[in-house]
This record gives sequence, structure tokens and C-alpha cells, in this order.
Amino acid sequence: MGSKWAGGLLIGALCVASTAHAENSGKPTLDSVSKQVMCMCGGCVAPLNQCPHLDCGTKAEMKAFIQKEISEGKSETLILQDLTQRYGVGVLTAPPAKGFNLAVWILPGVGLMIGLAGVVVIVRRWRGQPSARAAPAAPPMDPKVLAAVEEEMKSARLG
Amino acid sequence: MNQVGSVGLIAALAFAAFAVVAGAVGGRFRSLRVTRSAEHATLGFFAMITLAVVALEYMILTNDFHNAYVAEHSNRDLLTYYKVAALWAGQEGSLLFWTWLLSIYGALVVWLNRRKNRQLMPYVVSVLMGTGAFFSLLVFFVANPFQELTLATPAGQQAFAPPDGNGLNPLLQYHPMVIHPPMLYLGYVGMVVPFAFAMAALITRQLGDNWIRTTRRWTMVPWMLLGCGILLGGNWAYAVLGWGGYWGWDPVENASLLPWLSGTAFLHSVMIQEKRGMMKVWNVVLVILTFFLSIFGTFLTRSGIVSSVHAFAQSGIGPFFAVFIAIILVFSLSLLFLRLDHLKSENKLDSMVSRESGFLFNNWILLALVFAVFWGTLFPVISKAVQNVTVTVGAPFFNKVAIPMGLLLLLLTGAGPLLAWRKTSFQSLKRNFTLPLIVALVAGVALLVEGVRDLYAWMTFFLSAFVAVCVLGEFWKGARTRMRTAGENFAQAIYNLTMRNTRRYGGYVVHLGIVLLFIGFAGQAFKAETKGLVQEGDLLRVKNYLLRCEALTTGDSPNYEYTRALFSVTKNGRAFASMHPERRFYKASQQPTSYVAIHPTLSEDLYVVLAGMDPDTGKGIVQVFVNPLVMWVWIGGVVTLLGTLLALVPSRVEREMAELRSAQELAVEANDGF
Repeated sequence: MGSKWAGGLLIGALCVASTAHAENSGKPTLDSVSKQVMCMCGGCVAPLNQCPHLDCGTKAEMKAFIQKEISEGKSETLILQDLTQRYGVGVLTAPPAKGFNLAVWILPGVGLMIGLAGVVVIVRRWRGQPSARAAPAAPPMDPKVLAAVEEEMKSARLG
Repeated sequence: MNQVGSVGLIAALAFAAFAVVAGAVGGRFRSLRVTRSAEHATLGFFAMITLAVVALEYMILTNDFHNAYVAEHSNRDLLTYYKVAALWAGQEGSLLFWTWLLSIYGALVVWLNRRKNRQLMPYVVSVLMGTGAFFSLLVFFVANPFQELTLATPAGQQAFAPPDGNGLNPLLQYHPMVIHPPMLYLGYVGMVVPFAFAMAALITRQLGDNWIRTTRRWTMVPWMLLGCGILLGGNWAYAVLGWGGYWGWDPVENASLLPWLSGTAFLHSVMIQEKRGMMKVWNVVLVILTFFLSIFGTFLTRSGIVSSVHAFAQSGIGPFFAVFIAIILVFSLSLLFLRLDHLKSENKLDSMVSRESGFLFNNWILLALVFAVFWGTLFPVISKAVQNVTVTVGAPFFNKVAIPMGLLLLLLTGAGPLLAWRKTSFQSLKRNFTLPLIVALVAGVALLVEGVRDLYAWMTFFLSAFVAVCVLGEFWKGARTRMRTAGENFAQAIYNLTMRNTRRYGGYVVHLGIVLLFIGFAGQAFKAETKGLVQEGDLLRVKNYLLRCEALTTGDSPNYEYTRALFSVTKNGRAFASMHPERRFYKASQQPTSYVAIHPTLSEDLYVVLAGMDPDTGKGIVQVFVNPLVMWVWIGGVVTLLGTLLALVPSRVEREMAELRSAQELAVEANDGF
């Protein structure tokens, strides 16, 4: 029972951590916005901050646009909205969680849960069914190793 | 030479077609002669594809620009090893290279199984060569690298050779790029071997331990090579693309990760079948899935259905791949359905707290991750088809989904091996997990005191400490027992312990490598960056580094022109390094690229990019990153590689068992007249 609690607590902590983890929500910077939008030149297919093309005119234009919006004091959300209006929803590195695009966010979680249900079903079936064959007999153990194992177990019990 | 290559291709196609039919006939009628002829045809296939590869490489190395592929992907001043690598730089060449690697695997399988797995081999050859025939067809009819360049003249089409070629894509002119694609391809292609054995086992109903034992080894090799390929790709992105990172969740990166993840799931679940005779259907499903994802990865890279920064070779081969994938799925899943009765579990699960359930949970997370990455990668295509809107699914999505799952996997990496088969008692749990938990908690508190506030990074370090103590504890316990019983010193005890069970301890080393990889990943949370315009004498500061631009020079080499910035760097006021990033302009392809200067240390990398020249001021545009712990990603990769190699070395007991099995098998097959 104790082990189940410990395992549950650890997994619970991980799940809480995953949901509690939030992006840095300070003032927008060129880098923080560039990470969230794609370079729209059509050639590099990379986020704006990762575009490998040194002479990319679109990259320079987009960065200038973002810089202008930052200097106007706009929030990150507003800048992203303006970019979406200008270039379409494809400019965002991840689609907004609404309408059909909600599916991209929901299905991995659904998949995870279906998988878990599958594991539970398998475990129940395995636990319910009788063994199809007797467990194979263990090979004879080296007496020296056996003695050492017994000594280990004894010391573990004493300890 | 174009004719030689084409003859090689058509002869290879003929050999492959013959091997498919002869393998099936030899297996059906249990004819050793026919089966041997199929195996010889597989060797013939290898010889003919090798001939085609040699012909193309010869044309590349001798600058024969009559050949369209050579003119498109090479040039006279290209360094020789990049010329060799031009073989896989374009669509046609890379498909030929894929086919060649498949032929090597085919020849190896035939050679290594000439005296074993005789009942499986006819069908193994059929499946291998079926795949070979598909790729030969593709290379010969759809993406032929042996096309002559022609020019339309009043007298008709005339052969034509430009004075120089267009050259290799500058982004590919980086040393690890010479071995990255071969590694990746060896990984992708190698997954056809376990698939072939699985299909042969299903066809022959030989679904005992034998096929699974053979398949495990044939999966570990491509799994290891695929892992190397993925890491080398990350290294390439890090050193060449110049954005300061090594993994961007690009569709092509994802495509390589998918079969690696499902292969990892198989390598774990296969142990349950070997030890307990359980998860038989699941293991076949994983082999099919891994092969499907390998072909899918090739399809994704080559078809252009999704856009990618790595897509260097695209064309309209998509429909051919779609048909091939459909055939694979229909054939393999039908066969699996027909043999379900032969794949019943031999044992029951005794306890939820056991090694078996640990593997089950490991498979659950790995497969959920496969699904999430697959879904995210394909969603732009689905969105376009359903709502006619192009969306991008990039790093923010994958990080949100994959990091929590990755952390759960990291936890299982330490906890799983410490669970006993069948049932783990509470006493055993307490004994095995108390010390790792204490160490992890102490490390966690120390990190909080040191100011680590990023939750994911903190959890990664906490779990890494837990897993490292779990795994190292296993070595310590085993060595201590040997030191007591056999009177060996610590080094001898560790060596003998490992060599007696290479598979188990190799696996532990792999788990340690995974821990190091995660530590490297966590470093991303502490990245620092600055940008600036510089000329001689200007200063740039990032964290405790001060960079002084000593010079901005220009120069020329046969292959490219360059602008170089020379920086002297001090750290905490002391001389640290001299770094010289470059901006190169490749003459043949007329494309610019950056040559990143990296000063790596165990704690952090200093990463300097000369992104270009500011047209208004004439100053250099420089980006500087401090990337903590990146070195541990590469070290973790090497440790994982070494662990896998160790697990591949047969232990003494395994060798004896294999010899015994081989002798028994030969005796049985001699009685069968096979």
C-alpha cells in the first residue's frame, strides 16, 4: 500500500508540475515573440528566431514589425494577434486552442488516457487468467553465490 | 557510366523480384535448393546496387557533369569527402543510397543466418527483397540518378555538360553531415530486418522464443544507429543553423524520433516475452509499427507533404510511398490477425508492482509520446485538408506535450530495473528506493538553495539524481557480492559482473546515458543571449563573458568567400578564448551561410554567430549565446552508444546457449530434410 502511495505521489507531482508550469509572462522582447512565430519567407520553414537564411528579407521585415509593436508598448498577446492578422494563423508556431485546432491539443491527452485504459484492461486480463504453463525451473545456483545471497538477505533483514 | 548505373539498377530489380518469388516458393515447398537460390539472388541484388552506387560516385568524383544529378549536387572545388557525401544530398541519390544500405543488410542477414533460422529464412528473404524491389523500382523509374543532361538544339536534344556544377547545399557542408545521413539511414533501413523476421515467424507459425531472440539483436543495431543519426543531426543543427539550439521539433526531426521511440518500446517489452512469455501480440505490433514509422519517416522527408528546414530533397514520390505503406499495413496486420491464436500469453501478471508492469507503463508512455509527436507532425496536413487553413505545429506544442511524458519516462528509467520480476515486496521497494530518494531530495533542496526555479529543470535534476543512484547502486551491489564471494577487487568485480551479463549491465549504462541526455536538455532553461552590431574594438557582454571584436576581415577560398570576425573573450575578467565566427558565401550555389564559433566546456558553451553585415553601418551583426550543459547531451549520446554496444556483446553464458541452440536447430532441420 505504501509503495502505491509513494508511486502515486511521485506521478501526481509530475502531473501537477506539467500543468503548473507556465511561460514567462514578463514584458515582451523581440526574442520572446520571435520564438512563437514562424519566418514567413516560405523558404526556411523555421521559427523566426531560428531562420538560418542570413539574407532573409522577410525575417528582417517581421523583426522590424515586432520591434515597432514592442516600442509602442503592446503586450505579447496583442503583438501575436497583429501578426496573425497580417500573415494568417500559420504564422504562429502552435495553433490557438479553439475550433478545429483544439483537436491538436486535446488528442495527445485523450491518447494518453486511452493508453492507460488499455494498460488497465490488459493488467486485469492478465491477473484474471490462469498460467498457461508452469514457470520453468530455475537453473541450479552456484553454492558460493547462494551463500552470498543468503548472507545479503540476512544482513538486510537485520539492518 | 550512366549506362553502367542503369544496368546495375535493372539487374538489381530482377534479382530482387526473383528473390521474392523464390523465397516464397522455397518456404512453401520446403526446398533448400530454391531457398538457397533466393539467398544468392539477395547477394546478387547487393552486388548490382553496389555497382550502381560506384558508378554514381565515380561520376561525382570525376566531375562528370553530363550527369544531371552530379551537375545539380556537386562542383569542381568541392572537398573530396563532401563529394562522396553528395551521393545522398539529393532525392535520386539518397533513394539509391537507401536501397544500397538495404542490400547490405540483406546480404548480412543471408550470410549470418546461413546455418540458422533456416525455416524462417525463405520468408525473411522474400520480405527483405520485396522492400528492395520497391525501392529499386522507385530509383529506376521515378527518381533515376543516371539521367543525362540534354540541351534542346535545332538538331534535337543533345548531350550537354556545364563547365561546373551547382555545388552541394552549403548547409550540408559540415563534417558530421558526412556521417549523419548514413547513420540515420542505417537506422531507418535496419528496421526492415526485425519486420522481415516477424513476418516470417507469423507465416511459418514459428512464434516461439527464437524469432524474438534474433529480432532483438537486429533491432538494437538500427536503434543504436538511428540514435546516433538523431544526435549527429542535432549536432549539425547546433553548429550550422546558428540559432543556438540542437532540436526544434521540425517534422523531419520528429520523423526520425518516432521509430526510435517505438523501437525503444519494443526493446523493453521484448524482455517480458523472453522471460515470461507475455505480450506476444504487442511485440509483433511494435515491430510492425517501428517499420511503418521508418518508411513513414523516409516518406515524410522525401515527399514534401510537410514543410521542413531539413527537406533537402523532395519530389512527387509521395503516392508511391503511400501505396507501399498501405500494402505493408494490410499485409502485416492481416497476417497478425490470422495468427492471433498462436500468440496467447503463457503467464499471468502476479502483481501490479513488478518488472512486467514497469515495462507496461514504460510502453504506455513511449507509445503515447509516439502518438503525440505523430499527431502534431501531421496536424498541419490534416488541418489543410479539413479546414483549408495552413497551421504550424512547432516547439511550443511539442514541449508542452513531450516534457511531462519525458519526465515520467526518466522516472521509470530508474525505478523499472529495480522492480523484481513477478512481484516486488514492500521490503524490497524500501531497501532499493530509500537511498536514491534521499539523494534526490538532498540534490533537489541544494538546487533550490542555489536558485534553480525553473520547475521542469528542477524536476529533471531531481529525477536524474534519483535514477543515477538507482543505476549505480545496481553496479555497487553486484560488485560487492562478487568482492565477497570471489575475492575480486572492485575493478575486477565490476568487469566480471558486466561481462557475465552484458545485456543487463549494458542496459544500465544506456540508462545512465539517458540521464546525462536529460541533464543536457535541462540546461536549455538557463540559456542567455545577446545581440549587437560590432566593428573593431567594440565590446559585447553576456553573463560573465566579455567579447572584444579584434578584427573583421574578408577572405577567399576556392569554394567560398568569407567575412570573419575575430573576438578575444574574457570570463570574469580573465582571458578565456579566441573565437572567430564566419559568414560564408558559396560561389557555386550562390548561397550565404554562417560558420558558428563554439567554445564548449562541461558547464556551458559560448556560441558566437556572425549573422551578417549591417548594410547601413557596415558593422557585423553578431549573436552570442551562453548554452549551459549542452556538452552533456553529446556525452550522454556517447554513453548511450557505448551501453548499447556493451549490451550487444554476447555474454559467456549467452554464447554457450547460442551454440547449443544452433546445433539443435540444425539437427531438427536435417531431420525435416530442409
